[in-house]
Amino acid sequence: MHIAEGYLPPLHAVAWSAAAAPFVVHGARALTREVRENPGSTLMLGASGAFVFVLSALKIPSVTGSCSHPTGTGLGAVLFRPPVMAVLGTVTLLFQALLLAHGGLTTLGANVFSMAVVGPWAGYAAYRAVRALRGSLMPAVFAAAFTADLTTYCVTSAQLALAFPDPATGFAGALAKFGGIFAVTQVPLAVSEGLLTVLVVRLLGQSGRGELARLDTTGREDTTDAEGTVAR
Amino acid sequence: MLPIDAAAHTSRWRRRHPVDKAVLALGLTAAAVALPPWPGAVLVGAVTLVLLLCAARVPAGRLWRAFRVPLGFCVTGSLTLLVQVNGFSDPAGFVGPAPDGPLHAAELLARTAAASLAVLLFAFTTPLSDVLPRLTALGVPPAVVDVTALVYRMSFLLLDSVSTVREAQAARLGYTDRRAARRSLAGLGATAFVRAFDHAARLQDGLAGRGYTGSLRVLVDDVRICPRFVAASLALVACVTGTALLLGRILP
Repeated sequence: MHIAEGYLPPLHAVAWSAAAAPFVVHGARALTREVRENPGSTLMLGASGAFVFVLSALKIPSVTGSCSHPTGTGLGAVLFRPPVMAVLGTVTLLFQALLLAHGGLTTLGANVFSMAVVGPWAGYAAYRAVRALRGSLMPAVFAAAFTADLTTYCVTSAQLALAFPDPATGFAGALAKFGGIFAVTQVPLAVSEGLLTVLVVRLLGQSGRGELARLDTTGREDTTDAEGTVAR
Repeated sequence: MLPIDAAAHTSRWRRRHPVDKAVLALGLTAAAVALPPWPGAVLVGAVTLVLLLCAARVPAGRLWRAFRVPLGFCVTGSLTLLVQVNGFSDPAGFVGPAPDGPLHAAELLARTAAASLAVLLFAFTTPLSDVLPRLTALGVPPAVVDVTALVYRMSFLLLDSVSTVREAQAARLGYTDRRAARRSLAGLGATAFVRAFDHAARLQDGLAGRGYTGSLRVLVDDVRICPRFVAASLALVACVTGTALLLGRILP
């Protein structure tokens, strides 16, 4: 769920845009450098962005019986790394705002901060932590997707609580209110996205190894696990 | 093609420069967010609706189908303001009705609905393919613009592919229960990934044969910014702002 257009007061909208801007600029510089050194990577990055956009449009069943869509940030961070995800996530959110009326332009900064900055970095950190503890690929991928999804919604809760503090208990009460609402829906969804992402990566290991290897053009080191699956 | 973008390509204002429409739509969005919700957001919403239906001639049914999505989020988001958290020690209970909750919820609903309509005014009249090549003028690095334009073009191909694969999966009973649905969705995600990179590889081969050097320049329609339209847009936004502030003093 993205924060809807006009939902945040102007000051908050500007502040979150300012907070997200350095990460997006850093990602844009990394992307520009990559494209300059390897012009062919433009097409691969375009494909990566399209994949993230389409992934975020898939509806996944939730444990509570409702339906939602994956954020795709955990998988994106593992496949493309967080700085590139900051740019691809921003592009995805912009397209969702203008093509699907989902999210918004005044809330773009806040949504970018939660979904394209904090989510991917948290997911990638979880992935690296599990791998550093000699965990195998699938638990690491699950941790990345689960953490990225849940972190995104935790940050969104904090953003909403800051914008609309509770009349009686202030920020803490509002955080409990928004976090409580998200906990009911998003913890099951984070588990669902984690499981879905594991299945996607498993299938990619079988059918898309060439494409995964081609991501090498974005200048990262790949590792191949015991099952021969390529991932970062 | 997605419905909003398809509508934008056939819009009455399609041949206007994106800056013309951005000044009008984003000006109204800013007014919706910055003005007091009553009567500011209500006035902005009404003016935007008239512009959408009468000036830009967006079909009402198409507008409603696009607007009901953000409207649902606006309503859901506003409901949270109806309750407050009292804490565990409060005899009234952990949660209770918030004082002025309905008023704040209505104000938030008006603000988000008006701002959403104003953004839809831009989205329904301006195809993204008109906007993206011009982003370099705003200081966006050309490499980022190229990647963004590719994402835009590849997304439609990929959405078509995903839709076809999903139909095939459904025909093979791939969504009969939750477990099957999860397996089918995973296959869908993996297929999208493989196809995205397959499209990119074939595009790269084709471009290489045409002497690709890393730049993906496209022809942009030679339309100019219309100073009269921009001036009228600014005047309308100023008029709406002034009227809202004036009415705010008069109305209760």
